[in-house]
Amino acid sequence: MLGIEDCLAEVMAIPGAVDAMVIDQTSGTAVAAGGGEGNLDVGRSAAGLSETLRATADGLASTSAGGTVRISDMIITTDDGHHLLKPLETVFDGPLVMYVRLDSKRSNIALARHRLQNLAGRLITT
Amino acid sequence: MQTVRDALIGLADDHATGALRLGRIGTLYLVDGRVTHAESAVSPAVEDLLTACGRISAHAVRQARQAATAQRPGGERLISQGVLTRGELELCALGALLDAAYFLLGATVHRPGFQPGARHWLGARWHLDVTELSRECERRRRQLDQVWPSTELDALPVVPVGRVPAQAVVLTPLQWEVVVGADAAATPADLAHRLGRPAYSVLLAVRQLAAAGLLRLPKGRLPAGSGVPPGGTTGPLPRRVAGTGAIREAVTGGLDGSKRSCRLPQATANPADVDLLVRLKKALEALA
Repeated sequence: MLGIEDCLAEVMAIPGAVDAMVIDQTSGTAVAAGGGEGNLDVGRSAAGLSETLRATADGLASTSAGGTVRISDMIITTDDGHHLLKPLETVFDGPLVMYVRLDSKRSNIALARHRLQNLAGRLITT
Repeated sequence: MQTVRDALIGLADDHATGALRLGRIGTLYLVDGRVTHAESAVSPAVEDLLTACGRISAHAVRQARQAATAQRPGGERLISQGVLTRGELELCALGALLDAAYFLLGATVHRPGFQPGARHWLGARWHLDVTELSRECERRRRQLDQVWPSTELDALPVVPVGRVPAQAVVLTPLQWEVVVGADAAATPADLAHRLGRPAYSVLLAVRQLAAAGLLRLPKGRLPAGSGVPPGGTTGPLPRRVAGTGAIREAVTGGLDGSKRSCRLPQATANPADVDLLVRLKKALEALA
């Protein structure tokens, strides 16, 4: 079983990890953040990332036949690396998002995805 | 008279440990000048969040609370019982802390009482600086205003519209819970307690629903507070409805703050009408 800080440390231990965050999606609050080399505006990023995920879910909802969407993870590749977002359902509060930015040269997306999945299961039981 | 924020800043400078009791409004717990717990009358407490999701019974929470000691706080007991993981406890407690702080920090208190050495039964493996907390509350306030820049719905019963004014709507899970839970009597704070969800999140969902046109607004009521109409300065004017009652309400709505729901035109005289006429008469006389 993991606490938030231990979990964040393990996310940062994923090969190629540059920044990591745990975000409360409903309020857009960064619950915990790590890495970042000091040039990451945590508050703004957290709000922006929750908005990204919400907009994606909204967009997908209108393209899916059933109209309901459950995102298990999301990968966005930009010129500054891969952004991995993993929403987690919690029973007591709104959904959480685990976020990690990976250096595109040093990382392996499949491995990172697998590790994130595993960490999510140890942080929260559903 | 000082704000809770100022009181907290003083305690943070002193690296104080204990509980800041704010009477009926709530309580803040500090360890070494950093905030570890906050309880507000508006927000559901950690206990409420945990019991509302069915993970633990109210009885088990009481037991853990009674058995809690300084060496072995209640949180450790809950974790060792396998009720919830360490991550879940921390997330739940942090969520409740941020939620309650949002409603506490801006409040003013006459005489806050500080009880040195008091600790929260759950323990404190997490904490936030007062400046961090203050910044986050400010961000949350801005977020609310961005969605729907009016406080008019914050304390009123939530009433979803009977018919959706669009072809389709997309709701977040929390918005769905709010719509299902709304019974035309419960305010956002009531719903938060009933649903076992953070009060801020429910408030945000309510404002999002209002912005999407899915809530019934108090008719003719000018938005209270900032005086900014919903949707900014270009927002819609109070809708004009046939019948003099609606017009009178639109005129007087901003003046009296009573919760008067007026759906049918009223023929009875209202003191405000008379006042208005007297003022008009005097103005006309002054002109002549």
